[in-house]
Amino acid sequence: MSIPLNYYIVLSMILFSLGIAGVTTRRNPILIFMSIELMLNAVNLSLIAFGRYLGDAGGQMLTIFVMAVAAAEVSVGLGILIAIFRTKDNVDVDVLNGLKG
Amino acid sequence: MTLQALLSGQGLMFLFFAVAAIASGILVVILQNPLRAALSLVINLFSVAGLYLSLNAYFLATVQVIVYAGAIMVLFLFVIMLLNMGQANLNTSYRGVRTIIAFSSAIGFGGLMSAVALKGQPNVMLPADAMVTGSSAGSVEGIGKVLYNPNLPWLFAFEWTSFLLLVAVIGAVVLAGKRQQPSEDKA
Amino acid sequence: MLSSYIPVLVMVAGATIVALALIGLSALLGPRRPSASKDSAYECGVTPIGSARERFPVKFYLTAMLFIVFDIETIFLYPWAVNYKASGGLMFFNLVEMLVFVAILLVGYIYVWKRGGLEWG
Repeated sequence: MSIPLNYYIVLSMILFSLGIAGVTTRRNPILIFMSIELMLNAVNLSLIAFGRYLGDAGGQMLTIFVMAVAAAEVSVGLGILIAIFRTKDNVDVDVLNGLKG
Repeated sequence: MTLQALLSGQGLMFLFFAVAAIASGILVVILQNPLRAALSLVINLFSVAGLYLSLNAYFLATVQVIVYAGAIMVLFLFVIMLLNMGQANLNTSYRGVRTIIAFSSAIGFGGLMSAVALKGQPNVMLPADAMVTGSSAGSVEGIGKVLYNPNLPWLFAFEWTSFLLLVAVIGAVVLAGKRQQPSEDKA
Repeated sequence: MLSSYIPVLVMVAGATIVALALIGLSALLGPRRPSASKDSAYECGVTPIGSARERFPVKFYLTAMLFIVFDIETIFLYPWAVNYKASGGLMFFNLVEMLVFVAILLVGYIYVWKRGGLEWG
């Protein structure tokens, strides 16, 4: 007995939409990062579900690389955040408009 | 109809972790305190690991717990405490009217994509557990056989991953490490 | 194969229910008589000094970041090591590919070491 592929796809879409809502509404960059992690996880879930459906290991391979890229992205992104905080003492993304024309 | 599929073993597992993932995902988006949002994200990552298990991706479920819920979330919590945002920034987390637009567009996107998925091929079932054998089963051995196979493209990506991690190490140390010469970096 | 995990799922569900029930019951039934000394942070009986929400030093971030990178390296090493003995004629090729991977990461490690990122003091 097994369950339809669609359930995993719809769940993945729900998690991805939550990530979109988080990225667009939050002002704190750490919370924006966490919403991006939510979106990456949603995509990973659909990759694995499709890979399982097709009997192809490619979905799981891509997921491993997405995790490696996410780890690199988080460590550099949070490093940038710390560097910003050292110079500006504020990390609200609406205040960081020094490059605005 | 297909809702009966949720009463099987895999269906119950899916239901449990899906509800946990959605509930904790909502908490990540709406909670004001960054620490609480981070801990909700840990629950979300654990639930997604459970969903990986229900899809026979055993090794990836382990990696999800070790790398995401273990290492990445620890880094998030350290930075939250480093910037001391437990108390500050509490009442500035939302952007007023734009919040409504953002939430409705997110709901619209999710609804549209879900409708496409459900309308397209409503009754495509995942293969049963007994059908999943060999490398697609996602055991440590199966993953290794595909990942390090010189006839498949993943080996190339694996070697370049090391360059990515090297760049991440150097970038993070340069950005956040202590200044070597404090007088030089006054720019 | 997967159905052998059902007892684990039942145990997770049971543990969740028991934990929620115990926390809920103690919140409902327990008496609440807060006082200043009860609400203060517990520091082994000594009067607390300052707030617990001090700013963490950046060294914690650097250590956690290095841990993540070498954690990913271990994740890649593990399936490689499991399959190494069974790889037959590809054994030398597999050894070289992993040595290249480790060598590139070693460059980052040496850089952090020389830069002083590993010194705590």
